[in-house]
Amino acid sequence: MTRLPLLGVAMATALFAAASVHAEGDKAAGRALVYTCAGCHGVPGYTNAYPQYPVPKIAGQNEQYIINALQGYQNGGRKHPTMDAQAQSLSATDIQNIAAYLSSLAK
Amino acid sequence: MKRAITLLSFGAILAFASSQLLAAGNAENGKQKAATCFACHGTDGNAVDPQYPRLAGQYNLYLQRVLHEYKDGQRDNPIMKGMVATLSDQDIEDVSAYFSGLPSKLDTLKNHISGSK
Repeated sequence: MTRLPLLGVAMATALFAAASVHAEGDKAAGRALVYTCAGCHGVPGYTNAYPQYPVPKIAGQNEQYIINALQGYQNGGRKHPTMDAQAQSLSATDIQNIAAYLSSLAK
Repeated sequence: MKRAITLLSFGAILAFASSQLLAAGNAENGKQKAATCFACHGTDGNAVDPQYPRLAGQYNLYLQRVLHEYKDGQRDNPIMKGMVATLSDQDIEDVSAYFSGLPSKLDTLKNHISGSK
């Protein structure tokens, strides 16, 4: 009977470890990747055309949200001509690295 | 020529004034209406759970735009679709005015890319 809870703890630990490894992005690699993004996201108050609204502030945004957003542009859950194209060029690792870097910039 | 410039500047002022009007929402009312948002996005607009975005200090017009996108399905998100379903255009303006005016941890990418210090 004591064996079952022990097994549970071991599994939970393994799951946690796997989740932590999964979430770990390379900030330095992310910093290099966001060079492209700064063309629009690096201009304070910049408004894109068609449709016209301000390009969001993304430095300091939360990590998993950024991952979800970029995946959304990849899989069609989000639609924006420029962002769709940008996201297509990113690998899953790229996205993790970008998210790790951007989330680390919270003021 | 002088007249054309005067006219042009009038036009610019008008355009500026109307864009300000468009952005207008009532932050005080927005605070009341935003109560349901706090559970996920934080009372200060800075979500603790990293799957939810920080809203504090995000651009007002961007927040408005996105709320409309969740509402009309252009952004596909079951949770947000449910949340915005009951929001009127005025509600969206007010809630956006409230969150965009809060102290922010967000920034643009200016000075955060390779080559900048």
